[in-house]
Amino acid sequence: MILFYILSVPVILSVISFFAKNLKTLGRINAAGHLSVMLAAFYFAITSKLPLNLFNLFYIDALSVFFIFVITIVTFAAALFSIDYINKDVSSGNIKEKKAKFYYALFNFFSFSMLLVPMVSNLGMVWVGIELTTLASTFLVGFYNNKTSIEAAWKYIIICSVGIIFALLGTIIFYYAVSTAGLAKTLNWHQIVPFSKILDVNTVKIAFLFILVGYGTKAGLAPMHTWLPDAHSQAISPVSAMLSGVLLKTAIYAILRFMVITNNCVGTSYTANLFILFGIISLIISCGFILLQKRIKRLLAYSSIEHVGIIVTGLGLGGLGWYGALLHIFNHAATKSFMFFGAATVVKKYKKDNLNVIKGVLNAMPFCGVMLILGMFAISGMPPFSIFFSELFILISGFTQGRYFISGLVLGLLAVIFAAIVYHLSRILFGKKPQEIDKSAETLSTKLSFLFLLVLMCVVGIKVPIFLNKIILASLEILKGNYGL
Amino acid sequence: MHNYIFLISILLVTYYMVIVKRLPALISGFRLQSFLLFLITASFAFYEKEAALYIVAVLILFLKVILIPNFLKGISRKIQVNENLGLFLNPQLSIVVVLILTYLSYLFTFKVMTFTDKMQSATFALTLCIVLTGLFIMIFRLKAITQIVGLLVMENGLFLLAVTMCKGMPFLVEMSIFLDVFISVIILGIFVYRINALFTHIDVNKLSNLRG
Repeated sequence: MILFYILSVPVILSVISFFAKNLKTLGRINAAGHLSVMLAAFYFAITSKLPLNLFNLFYIDALSVFFIFVITIVTFAAALFSIDYINKDVSSGNIKEKKAKFYYALFNFFSFSMLLVPMVSNLGMVWVGIELTTLASTFLVGFYNNKTSIEAAWKYIIICSVGIIFALLGTIIFYYAVSTAGLAKTLNWHQIVPFSKILDVNTVKIAFLFILVGYGTKAGLAPMHTWLPDAHSQAISPVSAMLSGVLLKTAIYAILRFMVITNNCVGTSYTANLFILFGIISLIISCGFILLQKRIKRLLAYSSIEHVGIIVTGLGLGGLGWYGALLHIFNHAATKSFMFFGAATVVKKYKKDNLNVIKGVLNAMPFCGVMLILGMFAISGMPPFSIFFSELFILISGFTQGRYFISGLVLGLLAVIFAAIVYHLSRILFGKKPQEIDKSAETLSTKLSFLFLLVLMCVVGIKVPIFLNKIILASLEILKGNYGL
Repeated sequence: MHNYIFLISILLVTYYMVIVKRLPALISGFRLQSFLLFLITASFAFYEKEAALYIVAVLILFLKVILIPNFLKGISRKIQVNENLGLFLNPQLSIVVVLILTYLSYLFTFKVMTFTDKMQSATFALTLCIVLTGLFIMIFRLKAITQIVGLLVMENGLFLLAVTMCKGMPFLVEMSIFLDVFISVIILGIFVYRINALFTHIDVNKLSNLRG
């Protein structure tokens, strides 16, 4: 029942958005709704008996719960941040009030489609859900309807559609493997996994390759990442946070589901090598672009590619690396959303996003400046923030397995990226603020959205909460192929 | 036997789509390809006695043969775009490239995939070739609408694969995919209008403001 509550709240909210009179009230209702969804997801995670199978349509196990939890957290933060952001957009005449209501409707449709992905049992429906996330978010990427945002939206929908077609090709080949192995004709994940050993090895290998390339496009793995910096930098900022924080992760979720079947069928080394290959390529490419970046939101977008690379490398290393990768999914979602909120506040204030031009953020907006300093160290992997620890787990896993070259390479690239991010952001943070920018404070809702994510970043950095640890450990068992959890 | 005829004609139609120079001809090619897909699906439904495939066939006829091509033609008429496709590669070179792609998908099927059934190998090679040709159309033709058509050609290839190899996907999935395809075409159409309004052209190679 709680499950249907989680799914229906976004739908109801998106209907409400069309009829709401007052925009500020609408924003507050939206945030309150998503707060309740987040609490419901939390309650669901600790009380319900997993796995849960509803009419063979929905299948929820620990892995799904983990992703649902991450999605609801980021969605709530983005909803909270939207209130003031959209209000300012309307009062400054950037968008009309009618369009702002349209924004809330799309926002909720987008969060609904993302929540659908980890809930459905059928791998074909997972594909449908991921395609829906693209369709729902395209208008949010092209929201401002100017030349750059329309261009970004077009590239986004075209490249992701092509990528996802390859994922569908992989799914069909999987389905072929299942139906020729003499199994019941099904694409339900929990019905395939127990029999994955008898699938044809060769067919499954090829299918997984298509899956990885297809969903990898959506996850922002290099070299299929070309849509990502454009879309993330042009999207309306609260949505940038959602795109970067959780949309990429839903694609990783789909890859993980197929990974379990493939690992059971052909052994772990096949998927592991592919993961490491794509992970390292992503790290190298993002490193180069981060070094030379001129725009703040694009900087964060390339940083997302970097972190997806780290996650995938962690998945490739196995063992403690898997734990690190799952934890990193959570940490990156919280930290990157936090950074996008910071960048959005700065860009809104200065009305430009060029790193060479913006100066004196700390002076002009003390709260946001401090948050950006904290976020800058958090995102580049400094203790005591959470990203440090998940990266550490992944590196430990690499070094203890004796894979010195890969681990050393990752460590080196992370060091370069750390230096680059700190250099770029400290240029805009310090210095004298321009004359025409006056000092200002953020509203309460904006501050709350920052503090909420900051608490998550710090708490997980100090000690992984028991509840989260339990879900991740249960998810690890599922990744190892023990499906009844 | 009739299946072979359908499969060969669908390949020929795909080649035809590569060499055409004008937008209406490309859309008509897509319509013809979808119609052949409809015939194949219907014949599979008849011989394999799969009731669900009949509904799929009807939906293909309704959406891909009638609705979507008309919608695309409507767009191109409304925005009065220059009907030339604007080829990166001329037709002769294009057909050579696509023939090479055909050979590669043949090689991939027979060397990498190991089907026991000859017919299955042939259909897999064919669908892979259609998917790659769709990708080719997306990359080497300049107009935004041709990218939509290329995407639809790739999807046609996948439908053909699902029907011939697995006798269709699970019913609910198949229906949802239809819905997705339809929504995505409409959204892409809206964006073509917007691109045309903002840039006064729909040449995707000129969309290059965002770099680095």
